[in-house]
Amino acid sequence: MLQTVAIVGAGVMGRLLALKLLQQGFKVSVYDREARHSSHTCSFVGAGMLTPYTEAESAEPLVHELGLEAFDCWQNLCQQFSPTSFRIGGSLIVAHPNDQADLQRFEQNLRFNLQPEHQLALQQVDQVAIDQLEPDLGGRFQQGVYLAAESWLVSETILKAMADELDQNARFSWYDNVEISDIMPGQISVSGKIEKFDWVLDCRGLGAKQDIPGLRGVRGELLWLHAPEVKLNRLIRLMHPRYQIYVIPRPNDVYIIGATQIESEDYSDITVRSALELLSAAYTVHRGFGEASVVKTATHCRPAMPDNLPVVICQAGLIRVNGLFRHGYLLSPAISSRVVEFMQAGNLDSRFMQRLDDQVAPAPAASSRR
Amino acid sequence: MTQNTQFEVGGEELSSRMIIGTALYPSPDVMKQSIVASAADVITVSLRRQNPADDGGMDFWQYTKQLGKKFLPNTAGCHSVKEAITTAQMAREIFDTNWIKLEVIGDDYNLQPDPFALLEAATELIRQDFVVFPYCTDDLVLCQKLHAAGCDILMPWGAPIGTGKGLINPYALKTLRSRLPEVFLVIDAGIGLPSHAAAAMELGFDAVMLNTAIAQASDPVLMAGAFGKAIEAGREAYLAGNIQPREAAQPSSPVVGMPFWHQEENF
Repeated sequence: MLQTVAIVGAGVMGRLLALKLLQQGFKVSVYDREARHSSHTCSFVGAGMLTPYTEAESAEPLVHELGLEAFDCWQNLCQQFSPTSFRIGGSLIVAHPNDQADLQRFEQNLRFNLQPEHQLALQQVDQVAIDQLEPDLGGRFQQGVYLAAESWLVSETILKAMADELDQNARFSWYDNVEISDIMPGQISVSGKIEKFDWVLDCRGLGAKQDIPGLRGVRGELLWLHAPEVKLNRLIRLMHPRYQIYVIPRPNDVYIIGATQIESEDYSDITVRSALELLSAAYTVHRGFGEASVVKTATHCRPAMPDNLPVVICQAGLIRVNGLFRHGYLLSPAISSRVVEFMQAGNLDSRFMQRLDDQVAPAPAASSRR
Repeated sequence: MTQNTQFEVGGEELSSRMIIGTALYPSPDVMKQSIVASAADVITVSLRRQNPADDGGMDFWQYTKQLGKKFLPNTAGCHSVKEAITTAQMAREIFDTNWIKLEVIGDDYNLQPDPFALLEAATELIRQDFVVFPYCTDDLVLCQKLHAAGCDILMPWGAPIGTGKGLINPYALKTLRSRLPEVFLVIDAGIGLPSHAAAAMELGFDAVMLNTAIAQASDPVLMAGAFGKAIEAGREAYLAGNIQPREAAQPSSPVVGMPFWHQEENF
């Protein structure tokens, strides 16, 4: 008999889970309050960075460990149905001469948080090496760090490709523009009507705020620039005491400049101050951004727990996945694998998964830093 | 006399001489653990960029409220008198305190305070019954005027915010201490190492305010504890009264095997 699954929330986590569960023979229904190609979701706004090393600067080591699984997973998926969505080129981290201390701090924290074998991925680069990697930076930076193993996704196209791929499966149904309430073990309420399933997976992000104590929104703002004069092929991160940015190449001379990180659940449009900071910083990376046009701005709030780490709360018939913070694309491959393992074999990765229905609920791993 | 003596500032009884910031940590949990490790009684919070009019930062503020510390809201990010006053008024409502750490930035690159706007804003906020903690430079005349305007607490910088350079002008800081003996003086900004904080306390400053040096350390929790110890050590050293440095070595006990008149000849 086919096991049935309802996935509530069609962000990157929900879509990836749907694909994996279909592969395992489940019958999957996805519910979302947005339209399937809506641009008003956290996943759509997210830039799609797969940077397990650079994230180790400020994230707990767990983010790095889980993030290492992202490269293979996304490369395989993209090869199957969206080859142009996967981008390889590595991350180049640079700072202006006055801000060398910030580059040093970045490298110091990376070395502090990474195991020795992973520190080999860090490559210090001088002006000559930087100019070889990105000739368009034109001698602007004397020092940097290069992480060749990092990659990124064209998130808006992979999300669409995943939806199209799901739609082709006869065991799949998509219900968009629906309000889901009363998410419980084995059942949900769809526009007031109870529907029953073997499993319910709650992937709503901040939509699950009432059900996950401690969940909060962290505002992020991004700008999309069309900059034909700029030719960059890698992720560029600019270290600065206040205005840290990343520059992510998109097809057709578009670059995403991001992102602010503000402790506020505020969905309003980008502020002038944030735009000024992001654009000023981008202009110092490449003068060609001065002539770019601002194609669009984007704002969303990332769902985060107090330790900024993911959380998976499991019980029979209901699994809640949340707190992917700014690491949705980076962490969803590892988390979706563990969720499927739990559903099939009852295995629990105690670093971020907890059981609710046992008498003894194991506490989540302590979040002390090394 | 010991460091643990309670003291009164701005109408509150405190025992720790560290004020700790809540920005730039890797996560709220690491922030919380760092604050606990620091043993600070007072924490600063910002609200300017968090859309306070719509309670945008409420989750984060609620989380920090659980710590049970005294809040010192700040006007970080304000560039004019009007902005600073509006932010202070919102802070009073949100955090239910009349304390305000007043920052009015004059130079965007190094976040240097605008002394003229600062004095104007401080004067107005005191008129509105705020207890004003102005973030100022180490200029004596500015500090005197802020004091004359009603500030009994002053927060001169050690160095520009986030530089971690320590006390770049000890002469000016010593001058402030000796000329404003009745003012509660807090070194704010520029501290990078526990030894910088200890040095400030040894000069007789009443407290030290920190954020970046802890939040952006590789291990913020460990660094918070280190600063707590350094500030205590510096305070106790100040109270204990240091010996005066001198040009030549002076053995604390006679050198065994050498007649005392030969020891004298060495000088």
